[in-house]
Amino acid sequence: MPDPAVVLIEDEPQIRRFLRATLTAEGYRLFEATTGAAGLIEVGSRQPDVVIVDLGLPDMDGLEVIRRIRAWTAVPIVVLSARGQERDKVTALDGGADDYVSKPFGAGELLARIRVALRHAAGVARADGEAFKVGGLEVDLLRRQVHVEGVEVRLTPIEYRLLSTLVRHAGKVVTHQQLLREVWGPTHTDQSHYARVYMAHLRHKLEAEPARPRYLLTEPGVGYRLTAE
Amino acid sequence: MDESRVAAYARAVAIVAGATAVCWLMFPVAELTDLVLVYLLGTVLIAASDGRGPSIFASLASVAAFDFFFVPPYLAFDVAHPRYLLTFAVMLIVALVISGLTVRIRRQAEAAEQRERRTAALYAMSRELAQGATVDDLIAIAARHLGEVFTADVTIFLPAAGDRLEPRRRGASTISDNELALAHAAFELRQATGLGTRTSPGAAATYLPLLGHRGVLGVVGIEPPGRRALEAPEPFRLLETLVNQTALALERARLAEEAQQARVGAETERLRNSLLTSVSHDLRTPLAAITGAATTMLEGGGRLDAGTRQELLEAIRDEAERLNRLVQNLLEMTRLESGALTLRRDWHPVEEVVGAALGRAAKRLASRRVTVTIPPDLPLVAIDDVLIEQVLVNLLDNAVKYAAPEGAIRLMATASERAVTVEVTNQGPTLPPGEEERVFEKFHRVVADGRQGAGLGLAICRGIVEAHGGRIWAQNLPEGGVAFLFTLPLAEASLAPLPADA
Repeated sequence: MPDPAVVLIEDEPQIRRFLRATLTAEGYRLFEATTGAAGLIEVGSRQPDVVIVDLGLPDMDGLEVIRRIRAWTAVPIVVLSARGQERDKVTALDGGADDYVSKPFGAGELLARIRVALRHAAGVARADGEAFKVGGLEVDLLRRQVHVEGVEVRLTPIEYRLLSTLVRHAGKVVTHQQLLREVWGPTHTDQSHYARVYMAHLRHKLEAEPARPRYLLTEPGVGYRLTAE
Repeated sequence: MDESRVAAYARAVAIVAGATAVCWLMFPVAELTDLVLVYLLGTVLIAASDGRGPSIFASLASVAAFDFFFVPPYLAFDVAHPRYLLTFAVMLIVALVISGLTVRIRRQAEAAEQRERRTAALYAMSRELAQGATVDDLIAIAARHLGEVFTADVTIFLPAAGDRLEPRRRGASTISDNELALAHAAFELRQATGLGTRTSPGAAATYLPLLGHRGVLGVVGIEPPGRRALEAPEPFRLLETLVNQTALALERARLAEEAQQARVGAETERLRNSLLTSVSHDLRTPLAAITGAATTMLEGGGRLDAGTRQELLEAIRDEAERLNRLVQNLLEMTRLESGALTLRRDWHPVEEVVGAALGRAAKRLASRRVTVTIPPDLPLVAIDDVLIEQVLVNLLDNAVKYAAPEGAIRLMATASERAVTVEVTNQGPTLPPGEEERVFEKFHRVVADGRQGAGLGLAICRGIVEAHGGRIWAQNLPEGGVAFLFTLPLAEASLAPLPADA
């Protein structure tokens, strides 16, 4: 299997320089585009494994780029955005992006996002055969069992649905909208406090210190992320 | 001759007739001099009620009637004896003098009454004008008073952009081009125009300029119900006085506004200076560290051992993060100050926001003992989680910065009926007296001891907490250290109940 290909759509040369060094050192094949239009052509011709899109492009809204990519391919998209633009991030994620990193970000953070995105893209065909494990948390989706440090934890149906949704997206951010849709169904997407209340219940059952969670992380203004590695 | 004057003369005729009737009854038993007194009484009555003209008329009519009915030969104007001529002359003179005096007293009483009314109107308006702060308030007050005093339709014009007068307080009637032209004329000529003046007296309304010390401030248009209402000098003087009062009040308001703008300008200038000083220092320090570390690595090349290289790289990363926090704070402050901050409120457990903040500050908190106490049954709060997380991160940053190196940091939340209170405390030095309030001021640092920070973090906290309707304050701890507390009001609106989960 060849090295995974990454299309980077980013207009800032400094960021491109930094990502070029990082990504090629990690063995990715990198294709760069400085505009949304050029990026769309690159995505079409290179058939990449991951696309990285900056939300602030000179020629076209990053959100539009995501929409157009999503019109014909399920390739994972990781968004680069600034802190304080939570709304844009949510729009991008609900509009089809898989994950995001806030500028300024460390190389480790971006590489982790790319790894998770690649894993999920590869795992679409894979059966949920094996249990999900991170730290002392173990979730067996097949047998519907949850263990913390080897001790089985009893969850209510909603708590379990919430946790299993996060496990299916492990490592990826999940917006409130996505959670509500997947756990409560499409009619409850305006009741985001449901998710928060049950997330608090889950934390009290799964985390040693619910106010300093290890597994069930909050991304304020965006959603939740289950630690995956 | 108008109706009221006709009525006055008719009254004079009636009173003389009445006096004659009384005299007729007295005539058989009384002296002629007594009859003269009855006529004089009638004249005084007329003078007191109807003024000079009717009273003179009554005097003459009294003498004529007296002569005709009671002086021989009776029922004729002839005079039988010349001594009666003297009686007539004295009677006429006395009648005229008495009526003259009476009229004068009456006029004085009327003038006093008018002065009283004018003073009262002026006082009422001045008192209200003194309380009005803005130009709009003052215009409303003036229009209302002028309208009440003159039962008139009042429009106040103020100059708008491009030398145009704009009706700011509009009466009931619409303003025609002609009226607007008269208002402009009053504005430019600095004198009254329109109804009752030399310029276009046929207009429906009178226009008076609002004359201040530094020029014309605007124009008052006043349209009385009757065309003659403002014709007499007295109401017109009152109108002028009230308009002058309005002009003075407007000028005062404008001066106050200018002074306020100047103060704001000076304050902005001061803040900009301290911002520049503070920001350039705080930007330069991490930049110097980054430049230094990077150039050392570039130029030192292979001579550096692995430990040193690692240290320099970490310095670059840490300083860059510091720069990022500073820029973030500057942006946040700008958004708060420009009013561009909109709260995106939703229901959140405090614990979750605290968790996110502790996660974001984790690296800086790594070397600290942090205890968190949040009761599990704390109610949800309606907050913007991104902003409240920022408040918590800033308070934690602050605690790390000012706590004693081994001092613990404590984070607590408690609920009362009306609010959730969050408290971040650190052990260490206390705030000097008087600093508990000032620490929340922009660019204020307790001691200029080179500790990092632009003095923005706590000011941002205050801005965000107050935008949520909460309060933030600091208090020294008796055992040493400082507690920062803020409240998040619990909304009265209740949440939709959660669906069943079993």
